[in-house]
Formats: sequence, structure tokens, C-alpha cells
Amino acid sequence: MTASPDMPVIHVVDDEAPFRRSLLFLLESVGWQAVGHESAEAFLAAAPVFPVAGGCIVLDIRMPRLSGLELQRRLLAAGSMFTVIFMTGHGDVELAVQAMKDGALDFLQKPFKDQVFLDAVERAVQVSLERHATQRRQDEALEILTRLSAREREVARLLALGLANKEVARLLGISDNTVHVHRQHVMDKTATGSAAELARLILRADPKGLD
Amino acid sequence: MRFSFRDLVALMMLGFFTLAAWGAEAAPPVRIGVLAWQGLEEAEIRWSSLMNQLQDRLPGRTLALRHFDVAGMAAALSAGELDFVVTNPGHYVFLEAESGVSRIATLVADASTDPAHVVGSAVVVLDERRDIAGLADLKGRTLAAVSTDAFGGYQVMWAELRRLGLDPEQGQPRPMLTGFPMSKVVEAVLNGDADAGVLRACLLERLEQEGALRPGQLRVLSPRSGMSRCRVSSRLYPGWAFAAARPTPPALSRDVLVALLSLSPDAAGQSWSVPADYHPVHELLQELQIGPYAFLRETAWPSLWERYWPWVCGLVLTLLAWGAYTLHVEHLVQRRTRELTQAMEARQRLEVQVREGQQQMDHLSRLSILGELSGTLAHELNQPLAAIGNYARSLLRRQDSGSLAPAALRQAAEEIASESERAAGILGGIRAFARKRNRVREAHDPAALVREASRLLAGMLPGVPGVMLRQGAGATGLQVWVDPLQAQQVLLNLFKNAWDAQQAVGCDLPIEVDLSREGARCIVAVRDHGPGLSPELQARLFEAFFTTKPDGLGLGLSICKTIIEAHGGEIAASEAQPGPGLVIRFTLPLVDGAPPPPERVHDSLP
Repeated sequence: MTASPDMPVIHVVDDEAPFRRSLLFLLESVGWQAVGHESAEAFLAAAPVFPVAGGCIVLDIRMPRLSGLELQRRLLAAGSMFTVIFMTGHGDVELAVQAMKDGALDFLQKPFKDQVFLDAVERAVQVSLERHATQRRQDEALEILTRLSAREREVARLLALGLANKEVARLLGISDNTVHVHRQHVMDKTATGSAAELARLILRADPKGLD
Repeated sequence: MRFSFRDLVALMMLGFFTLAAWGAEAAPPVRIGVLAWQGLEEAEIRWSSLMNQLQDRLPGRTLALRHFDVAGMAAALSAGELDFVVTNPGHYVFLEAESGVSRIATLVADASTDPAHVVGSAVVVLDERRDIAGLADLKGRTLAAVSTDAFGGYQVMWAELRRLGLDPEQGQPRPMLTGFPMSKVVEAVLNGDADAGVLRACLLERLEQEGALRPGQLRVLSPRSGMSRCRVSSRLYPGWAFAAARPTPPALSRDVLVALLSLSPDAAGQSWSVPADYHPVHELLQELQIGPYAFLRETAWPSLWERYWPWVCGLVLTLLAWGAYTLHVEHLVQRRTRELTQAMEARQRLEVQVREGQQQMDHLSRLSILGELSGTLAHELNQPLAAIGNYARSLLRRQDSGSLAPAALRQAAEEIASESERAAGILGGIRAFARKRNRVREAHDPAALVREASRLLAGMLPGVPGVMLRQGAGATGLQVWVDPLQAQQVLLNLFKNAWDAQQAVGCDLPIEVDLSREGARCIVAVRDHGPGLSPELQARLFEAFFTTKPDGLGLGLSICKTIIEAHGGEIAASEAQPGPGLVIRFTLPLVDGAPPPPERVHDSLP
């Protein structure tokens, strides 16, 4: 199945072929794009780490060789945007706890009702889309901020914290006039009109940028 | 017999010579006994002249004559009352054997007669009896004779008749005993009481000569030549014997003999001659089984006893011993048989108990294994059920949204069908596994059993890395005596354990099974690539309720051990080489090695 570039894709990774196919059939029934993989290795070989339009992975926790948990750890380490839903036929509480700690979005015990599964998938896709949007905004802010020189980034941070020109000049040990020139450059380069706007931009690029 | 008898006589003679001097000095009366075969009066007349003549020839000695019948003479002899006896040839032979008398002279008809051919018999009939031409015609007739003890008067003729196939003892002819004197026989023939009569040779001629009979009135049957003056129907035998008793001194015997030989013939022309050979008389008596040979006839038990008692005793003892031994052996056999029967019954009862217990155990063990596998089995059943549910709900959704394509419907329906079959297959397998069954022993290829168990394992536990079967040289085409289901139970257990162990370390190498042959046994080794076990844990591995798994019951391997031992095999764990890993090795009896082993009795059941 070829996925449209702008649509989220649901990846089902389960070594049990009939069950995997039934999930794909169910997902397609409600209009999702779904791809099946018989093992974690097969998924890694086929799917991009950063999905273009979001999506989620439905993972069987117990699989031969590379287990579901291990795959999740690898994705996490690689900074993947995929959200993960775990399935298990065994109801292992310990495994479930570990999976949630590692950032799994949901943990389903087979057999599960189709609606529960579809809701979980819906939520996971949403989360992934949100994460994707957040990421995109951060990337844009960072890209804007990289246009500034080091002195300009310093001035911009102090201005965003609400300091007046005189105070900035005293803190940095430069003249008021120099501060004014820097401020003009910052406003121009970031296309912001106020200190408040500048502050939002900086926070988008780095939530801890104003600490 | 004859030889030993001569020895005996020689010995006696020797003894007598030593006593000769004493006998001469004492000069006791010479006691002579004669057989009065024709009655006392006749004997008195007959022997008186002999006695007188002897008395004349033996001066200084007195002669004492006594008359005896057959039995009386023998009794007198054994009582030591007689020095000499005068008797007929048959009686002499009898006394010779019975009392040890020895002949010194034989009576002959005249000087020219051979002493060995003196006595014979004539069978006479009335001359007009033309129907009786010879001795052979006597069959069915009546034959008169004086006595069965008479030698010339009966026994000689008896022997002749026997040689012709006639036997008066069998009534062919019928004997008619008249008693002495012999003239009664002539009377019986003359007055028709008897068809024929037996006369001593020469009696007929004498009677004719005396005029008592008209010559030609009586006719002699089957006359023989051999005796010049008289007609006879029989062979001829030695005449009367003058014999000395055993204790008679030889000197006296010699004197008497000399006297006898010097006598002149008596009125009848008879005289004494040198002693004849009485062997033909022996033969005759032996043939008739009478006299000294009567034991032949009556199978005389006492005499046989005397002769053979050591043998009889030995035989009886042997028989008794044999009988006792046989009884003893029989007793032992019966006792042993009884013991064996009891032992076998007890054994059978025990076997039944063991078999029942074993079946119960098998059943329980299968259920236990089911229990151990239940988590996995529940998962296995959940998979197809969940898939079916997914398809069904998907179809409903598509139907509701109006997007149900025929191709999708077909795909879903096919999946539902195949998944439901799969679920049914799993349940069927469990049911077959849990069903109670009787014990069986069949010949199976161990490699096929391993492959089958491996296939079952893959069906039950997907994701199992698989089983790699290796068969050493000479381990192909083997046949083992097993209950195939139990063998699979053991193999499944070992495979599952191996897989659990490998999962613990995330190893996906195949489980290795090695088949080899050792004597009459097949060795099956199951090796995993798990973490292995310490020797202490290995030693406890087959104990009931011992487990290294958090969720294990500790029954699987103890059941395996029970099953393997019931097959006459062994099971043990060891470290894999090279490690890490564990090897469980068990043995099964080969078909060509031995018949199926007997069921073992287990002391304890897990």
C-alpha cells in the first residue's frame, strides 16, 4: 500500500499474520492508511523514523528476536515522532508499566474491542500530529533566531524579558545608542513588533530559552 | 548246573574218604530205601531176593530195607534215615537235585543191555480199536496211567506225546489215573474205561508170558525199535538207580557197589550195571517242568526269591527310592507351582494397580502440562478469535458507511473461516491430548516423533525458533518401543523448557535435538542455548514441584521422568558443551534390541 504523503500512516507490527491482517482490514474500514510489518526489523527497514504527516505504531510487545519494547527504545533514542500503542496477549503488568514509562501512548490487551482500538489509534495519530506541528513551529523559530548575531541574540533575550534599553546597556556595558541599533536589527530580522512577540518566538524555539 | 553238581559230588567224596575208617569200625546197619511203585507187597516180593543176595555179599553188615512212596523217600533222606535208595530214573534225578544222592549202579534188563537205554513206555489199545492207529490218534481219547509220578509208566510217554503236539495236561488226551499196581491200567483198557493205557516197557510181554493176557489182545501204538525184547512207544532212558545218600561213607558205597555188580541176574533177568548217564532224564524232566524243574512250571516265587532276593531287594529299594524321589519332586513341583501361581497373581494384581495408577498419572500429567501451557494456549486461542472479531466488526463498519466492496467482503469472510478452523484445531488438539487412554507400546521412528513434536510446538507456540534434528551415523532408521503420545508429551515439555530458557536471554538459535544409538537403546538429547543451570539445580531438576520458572508448577520434568522410566529408559540433565545451555538426555529401548520392557513399578509418583 502506498501512503499519501500528507496523510498519517498507521504501522501494525505483529508476527501473527492473520491477526495483523485483521487489524489492517479494520483500520482501512475507517479510512486510515495502514501498513503491516511481520517484525520489528521489517518495520525499521521499511518505515521512516520521522513520518511526514504523522502516524502511529501498533506494536505487539512479544515478538521473537527484537521485541516491541526494544523497538520503542530505539525509536526514542532516534528522536522519532511516532507514537506507540502496545498490544499484548499475555497481560504482563510489568511490561505494560515499562512501556508506559518509556513513553507508550496506550497499552491494549488482546482481545480488545474494535472501538477501543480505533479510539487509541485516533488519539495516537492526533498526538503525533500535534507533536509534528510543535516541532515544525520550533524549527521555524530556531531558523529565525539563527539569523541573529550573538550580540543581537543577547539583546533580544534581555528585551524579551521586558528590560528597557538603558537597563540592557548597563547590563551589557554598552552605550544606549548601540542598544537601540541592535534592537532595530532584531525587530527587522525576526519580523516582530514588540518585546512580547519576541518573547513568544524565543519560547517557541526553546521552551526554556528565557530561564 | 551240571558242572557245579559234579564239583559238589567231588567235594562230598573227599569228605567221605576222611570218614571211611570211622564207618568201617562202627558197622551200623545199612539202611536201604526202595520206591514201592507198585505197592508194598509187590515191592516186598520184587526186592527181597536182591536184599538176600546183597546180605550174602556183605558179611558182617545187616541190611535194613524200607519201602517208600515218592514223597516219603525224600523226607527220609533229608532226615538222614537212609544210606542208599533204589528208585526210578525220574525220581533219582529229583533226589539227586533235592537230597544230593549219587548213583552207584543202574538196573539193566540183562547183561547185554546198554544201561542208558533201559526204561521206556508202551501205549496199548485193544487190538480191535482200528480207529487208533498211532500215538497221534490219541487226541480226544482217554489215556489210562498209574500216576503222574510214574516215570516209565507216565512221564516218558507224556514227553513223547508233547513232542507230537499232544498234551495230557491240556486234556489231549484225557489222562485217567488208576493208581498202582500197573495191572489196573491193563484192566481199564480191557474193560473199555480208557481208550488207551501207558505201560512200563516189557510189562506187556511179561503179562503175556505169564498168561494174564492173550498175546495180540493189546496192541502197542507207534512201536519203536531199540529194545530187543519188548515193544515200546517211546525213547529209552536209563534204568532204575541204586544211589548213595550224601552222608554215606564212600567205603560202604564201594562195598555195596562191588556186591551189586557181582550179583547174578534175578528171575526177571535184571541185573545191576555201572551207573548210566542220567542226563537225558534231566532233559525230559526239564521239558516236562517237573521234579527238580517244577519251578519252571509254577514260577516258584519262593525259589525265585531265594535265588534273586538281593536283586529283588535292590530293585525294590531302587523303586522305592525312585518313587520317593518322584513324590518329593512332585511335591516340590506342586509347591513351587503354587508359589509361582500366587506370585504371578500378586504380580498381576500389582500390575493392574500400577497400570491403573499409571493411567491416572498419565491423565493427570497431561492435564498438568495443559495447565502449564494454558497461558500460552489461551493466547493461541485469543489470536484467531480476536482476528475473527476484527473482521466481523470491520465488515459492519464498512456496511454502515456504505463502503463495503465485494473484494473486501470476500477477503474478510475467507479470513474468518480459516481463523475459526484454526481455533477449532487448537481445541481439538487439547482434547485429544487430555483424553484418558490405555497404555500402548508401538514401534516408532524417533526422528519422526521429534519432527511431529516440533510441528506441534510450532503450532502451539508461534515464534518458536524451530527444532534442528541431527542424527549420528547408525542412528537413522531406528525404531523405539514407545507410547507415541507420551513421547511427544516428553518432547514438547523439553522443547517448551528449552524455548523458555532461550527467551530469557533473547536467543533465537534453533533448539537442537541429537539422536544416537548406544547398544539396545536410542539416546535423544535436547539442547538449548539458554543460560544453563548450575549442577545443584540440574540435580534437582526432575524433582516434583521443583521449578526455576516464576510461573512454573515444577511438574513437567518430573512427569517426563516418570514417562521415560515407565518406558524402561533414563533421563538426565547436563551442561551443554560448548556452553552456555542445558542438555536433557533420555533413552528409549530399541525394537531390535529387546522386546518391550516390562512396566516398572515406581516407588513414588510425582
